[in-house]
Amino acid sequence: MARVEYQDELDDLRENVVAMGETVLDRYDAALTALETKNESLAEEVIEGDGQINDRYLDLESDCIDLFALQQPVASDLRFVASSFKIITDLERVGDLAVNLAEYTIAAERERYPEIDLIHIGTETGAMVAEAIEAYGAGDAEHASAVAARDDEVDDLCSAAGDAVVEDLIRTDYDDEAEDVMDDVSRLLLTVRDLERVGDHAVNICARTVYMIDSDAGLIY
Amino acid sequence: MSRNELTDGEAQSESESNGDSLITTDVATTGTRGHDGPERTVVETRDLDVYYGDERAIDGVSMEIPEHEVTALIGPSGCGKSTFLRCLNRMNDLIDVARIDGRVTLRGVDIYGEGVDPVALRRKVGMVFQKPNPFPKSIRENVAYGLEIQGYDGDVDARVEEALRAAALWDEVKDQLGESGLALSGGQQQRLCIARAIAPDPEIVLMDEPTSALDPVAASKIEDLIDELVEDYTVIIVTHNMQQAARISDQTAVFLTGGELVEFDDTNKIFENPDDDRVEDYITGKFG
Repeated sequence: MARVEYQDELDDLRENVVAMGETVLDRYDAALTALETKNESLAEEVIEGDGQINDRYLDLESDCIDLFALQQPVASDLRFVASSFKIITDLERVGDLAVNLAEYTIAAERERYPEIDLIHIGTETGAMVAEAIEAYGAGDAEHASAVAARDDEVDDLCSAAGDAVVEDLIRTDYDDEAEDVMDDVSRLLLTVRDLERVGDHAVNICARTVYMIDSDAGLIY
Repeated sequence: MSRNELTDGEAQSESESNGDSLITTDVATTGTRGHDGPERTVVETRDLDVYYGDERAIDGVSMEIPEHEVTALIGPSGCGKSTFLRCLNRMNDLIDVARIDGRVTLRGVDIYGEGVDPVALRRKVGMVFQKPNPFPKSIRENVAYGLEIQGYDGDVDARVEEALRAAALWDEVKDQLGESGLALSGGQQQRLCIARAIAPDPEIVLMDEPTSALDPVAASKIEDLIDELVEDYTVIIVTHNMQQAARISDQTAVFLTGGELVEFDDTNKIFENPDDDRVEDYITGKFG
């Protein structure tokens, strides 16, 4: 095996991206728990921890740039570094969305629309991210494709949640508490949107993983 | 050097049907080719084997090289890429133990065919070597050398200027044309050699690691020049610098040990997603 140090750097990048993914998922799970249990102190921890994720992201971005500049990767190595470069951006965004969830937890005072199971949606999208990272780490394009295919179910859940809110607003007269209702509804719909976006980032990670392994950009476009 | 086994009659017949000048020393040196129309093959090899004594250096290589593009030949040392390059203008004729089987055609003409004049061929297929090798003559004489050998009856000074301009050297040497080519810097000497190679207006310019002896700035000037040369010429370049191949070539041929052509495809395909695992291993540095 030639270029041993270079190969070590590629291995390190893979391990570090997976580690960043695990950290992001820990924060995301904590945000979901905070949302479910209305645990404000846990939500604060998620918000304060985002800087650490951003720092990790910048470190890995720098590692990728160094590999491009100093090692000039080609072929499968090029696809790997380029995909990793994109995947860390998705992971950083999932971290940001976890912060959003934590902020909604702190801002929310009332529980409205309990029939909309945000935690179920959030758990599913979190599982998608976890499996996307697993597929990336293992170089498993088949697994990545299967994870990406689950996004339609998440989209359906999110769409149904939005429809339920709109139907309720049409049917119900909230004259006295209209302002509060609109705050809650806005927050709820933003939460649904953010959970759905977590799923989208999982799909992005899967798409880059498939490209990385098979040079198939079909899922990217 | 032994000739290949193609019949003389076949080579002669093809030469005549193409109206080509390879079988004589009367090579046209005027006229500018454009880059119009669809991609066309200018050089083709079929089942090309090259032996040095009993050792096979090229193993059954078949390639179609398109005109007005840059084709890079890459591979580890000893893989046969320079041997292949030298087959294209019969430089291997100069090596006593070299022997060729198979077929090399230039615009359909078998260049190893009966009656083909290697000197005339080399004016159509010019060559630039690894180390700049200007003659110990003036800059003008270096560029005019090939023209004078072939008895060029046009305006030699005008052709010298044209070649030096095409080699991106004119502005640097126009006031010192009478001075020795050896007084130039390494990068300038290499551009002088390129000017010398293109002065007789060849169809093809072969380059055997033309920048490996140059510093990065001089090398980048040569790379820029190659990009301009393909407007008028077909460039086939051997390089050990894979990033250079990736930067400047339109297609890349990968040779591996034993003289086997393992993969030949568009350069972006080779460097982003090669089909052959051995190519992947070679270009990513895992080879060996």
